[in-house]
Amino acid sequence: MATTTATEVAAQPPVSPAPPAVSGKRRRSRLRRRNTLLGWSFILPNFLGFALLTLVPIVVLFYMSLTNWNVFGTANWVGFANFERLIGDGSFRISVLNTLYYSALHIPLTFVVALGLALLLNNKLRGVAFFRTAAFFPYITSIVAIAIVWNLLFSPDYGPINEILRFFGMENPPGWLTSSDWAMPAVVIVSTWRDMGYYMILFLAGLQTVPRELHEAARVDGASTIQRFFNVTLPSLRPTTFFVTVMLTINSFKIFDLILVMTEGGPGQSTLVISQFIYTKGFEESQFGYASAASVALFFMCIIVTVAQFLLNKKRSV
Amino acid sequence: MTGLLAPPEDARALRKLADSPPPRTPRATSPWRRIGRIGLYLVLIVAAAGLFAPFIWMITSSLKTSNEVFSIPVTWVPEIFVWNNYVEIWTKSDMLTWLRNTLFLSVVVTFLQVLTGSFAAYGFARIRFPGRDALFLVYIGTIAVPWQSYMIPQFILLSELKVSNTLWAIVLLQAFGAFGVFLMKQFYETIPEDLSEAARLDGLSEYGIWRRIMLPLSIPALASLALLTFVNTWNDYLGPLIYLRNPDLWTIQLGLKSFVSSLYDTNYALLFAGLVISVIPIAIIFLLGQKYFVEGIATSGMKG
Amino acid sequence: MKRKFVVAASMAMVATLALSACGGSSDDAAEEGGPVTLSMSGWSLATTPEFQVLADGYMAQNPDVKVELKEYDPVNYNTLLTADLAAGSGPDIIVQKEVKFVSTFQEGGQLVDVTDVELPDDIGGTEAYDIDGASYAVPYRQDSWVVFYNKALYDQAGVEYPDGSWTWDDFAETEEALAAGLEGTAAFGGYQHGWQSTVQGFANAQVPDADILSGDFGHLKEYYERVLKLQDDKAQVDFNTRNANQLTYQGEFGKQKAAMLTMGSWFVATLIAQQAAGEADDFDWGIAPAPQYDESTAGIDNVPVTFGDPTGLGINAAVTGAKLDAAKDFLAYAASEDAALSLAEIGITPALLNDTVVETYFELEGTPDDELTEFAVSTHKTLPENPTSSKTAAIQNILLDLHTAVMSGSEPIGSAIDAAEERFENEIGD
Repeated sequence: MATTTATEVAAQPPVSPAPPAVSGKRRRSRLRRRNTLLGWSFILPNFLGFALLTLVPIVVLFYMSLTNWNVFGTANWVGFANFERLIGDGSFRISVLNTLYYSALHIPLTFVVALGLALLLNNKLRGVAFFRTAAFFPYITSIVAIAIVWNLLFSPDYGPINEILRFFGMENPPGWLTSSDWAMPAVVIVSTWRDMGYYMILFLAGLQTVPRELHEAARVDGASTIQRFFNVTLPSLRPTTFFVTVMLTINSFKIFDLILVMTEGGPGQSTLVISQFIYTKGFEESQFGYASAASVALFFMCIIVTVAQFLLNKKRSV
Repeated sequence: MTGLLAPPEDARALRKLADSPPPRTPRATSPWRRIGRIGLYLVLIVAAAGLFAPFIWMITSSLKTSNEVFSIPVTWVPEIFVWNNYVEIWTKSDMLTWLRNTLFLSVVVTFLQVLTGSFAAYGFARIRFPGRDALFLVYIGTIAVPWQSYMIPQFILLSELKVSNTLWAIVLLQAFGAFGVFLMKQFYETIPEDLSEAARLDGLSEYGIWRRIMLPLSIPALASLALLTFVNTWNDYLGPLIYLRNPDLWTIQLGLKSFVSSLYDTNYALLFAGLVISVIPIAIIFLLGQKYFVEGIATSGMKG
Repeated sequence: MKRKFVVAASMAMVATLALSACGGSSDDAAEEGGPVTLSMSGWSLATTPEFQVLADGYMAQNPDVKVELKEYDPVNYNTLLTADLAAGSGPDIIVQKEVKFVSTFQEGGQLVDVTDVELPDDIGGTEAYDIDGASYAVPYRQDSWVVFYNKALYDQAGVEYPDGSWTWDDFAETEEALAAGLEGTAAFGGYQHGWQSTVQGFANAQVPDADILSGDFGHLKEYYERVLKLQDDKAQVDFNTRNANQLTYQGEFGKQKAAMLTMGSWFVATLIAQQAAGEADDFDWGIAPAPQYDESTAGIDNVPVTFGDPTGLGINAAVTGAKLDAAKDFLAYAASEDAALSLAEIGITPALLNDTVVETYFELEGTPDDELTEFAVSTHKTLPENPTSSKTAAIQNILLDLHTAVMSGSEPIGSAIDAAEERFENEIGD
């Protein structure tokens, strides 16, 4: 950030040469203080609301994970007992595995589909506005309607999906939402279908930042469409892909309402995810301390992955 | 150096020029191209039909009687068309109040989120100060916590502040999220530094840079953020459920659910009628606004 | 600077929480003499008249007390109530919608001990509110599970009406006979709703020595095997289809898609209203007592055993002084015969079911007037679906997973029971 110092230097009257090290350090700390104030002045409006309404309750949440609060009684300190209990809790283990399974499928699938849609709809086809709206519609349709229609589509005996599979020769098509093996893949499909419009919008906006000249230059150089995609589009899209990846990851780890409406964690516990575990323990069994511990565990899961993505992104963009 | 910075209006004109179709070459009218294009349209139309399917089912179900909605086999066309469902929702329920509340919340929250989010994002993206990255990580970290985990402490806090059971509770909840900050920061990072440098040399303050340069250049991002925030606030159910207890504060999702349900019984036909009415404004806003997602940024002439 | 702010803020928060947790804000100081206002929680006020009926009835007898209703969402009632109580803004009279939350409220010190409220002798459902020898709520309503049957479909299938002497094997036989008789039509022999209570409620109440609090779930086996057979034989809609199509019991029985239905007695009022409004078909129906575990409790000479949870009223622990006296008085009213009569008039089965009340209940237009129906509604030994304990909610969750696993065909009943018992050891233990 040499520009600011350049301006400062230009504005100052000439001084007799002082020991360069000292004046350099003072200038730097003055610069740092100025930047701190400047930076905070931008952040403050958002940060005030954020700190009060989100940060403080979350700090309380962390505190609660070390107690055995049941919302009404006093919160008695129990140290790490909740976390020890989590480690031994079979249902929690199942929910973590299910969440990871869901994320491992959902994240790449949604990423690819949303990016593909954005690329496809980033041009001037006639009626592209209509198609973009169509892609976004699943996101604004009521979850109840979505759950019902997809339940019908996935119906093992009468549903069109299995009809088509049988037509192509599959003798025992999967039981989808009625089978504990196939319920999660079914949920992933519906979830991707619902989310793709949302992430498509983010990619669409991001695609606008790809400099056209680079594309033109590459085309002139004889690069094919695919080569252009990988060597021009994708690298320029990095801030957006980073954003989408992080949000996709966090949202996948946190998934709750769609699964609740479609399967309620069933059949059995085959689609039980961490968020539902938290909700059940907290609001149905009133074990808020324990539920808070599970929330903290989820938080750390997300942070670890996010930090890894951060570091990867920093390394790539250097 | 300032000469290289094309003012946004000119930039848009330049973009239009660049976007105008290239002179027709013989290749463009080859029959394969036309077939390919028709095939593409077909695929898109079939896909669109699939995407609209649940919504279409919702519409037809809203015209059935409540006991007809769920049955085996599933019916797509109602036996008798109960248009009265829509009349009932519009006249007997408090739909206008709910619409008004929902509109107020969506607009205010979107405005605040976009404003404070893009403002804070500039601080994170362009200004280096100690602790910046750690603080940003904290921001993102809070997205990682599911809302129902800290809902109760948050509720107690807002109740102590006497804001619970007012519309401001929802505004406070939604307007200062980390999502907007994150989104805008990423987009600001795609804008070349040279533009800001040039402006600084011209004497523009950081705030001026934010207003005159960053904002106009990030219209697609702003539009996306605005739309997504608007939709999320419009469709938000749990937040209003917990905080808006007075019936005259209810939003559409809340009011509808309450209007059509009793303990064991929900009149889904009525509910769907209300939901259809509720989706229309968003669909219109999207249709009208989606061209802003693809509004170009003029960086022509700038070497990165 | 930023770090210190966060720490300070969080300490302030914790302090606030601790303060509010220790007793709630009692900013409604007791007014000696003069009008008293009590707030009472209720749900779906527009379609659930019972709360207003209770409030109006009491206010008519006590003009200097005002009872105001606070509306809550029915599905999320306990979550919202919890949030309100935690923030100190809960209602004065707390309606206990589900028994499994009573012990949570009581352990959290949110309920007043109401052992001293006088109750009529033959009122049912009080055991659910007894914790450690004291009573924390008063029942005003007791639902019980019975069999609803469609006389028209029975005639069509050529099957004799129930006579009140059924065991579960008789019930299954009849359902198969009905299915055979109705073959080719759109109607099934019976309909079973998706809730876990449709199987487990009966099993828990009827099998001798069954106790879910002990972690022993073997008694469920027989009941599930029977249901699975009915499903396989297509005598009733299978669980997966039921879920996929989100069938409702009101729709299935009301539109004559099933000849009979096991359901709670609250359905009576709904069915009558829907028949009157044309949303349900117009057909003759009746109520039979729930099928029994064995012959010893079957038949109209015995008292059939069924299950059902009461709905009751508790008092917020923050209420004191003159308000507390009024509140206790209101609870006594809700359990009294006057209240029972006004509830019976709108088709609700009150906790107090003596002859006068039963008579009034059947005066409601649309209720079937045959003897068996009267017997089924008035004579039953109703055991709680949810035993009152702090472990109940967790156990019910384990059993819910068992229910969905078994009914969907994902897991056989034997291994599902073993898995559930293992989970009990692991997660609840002690």
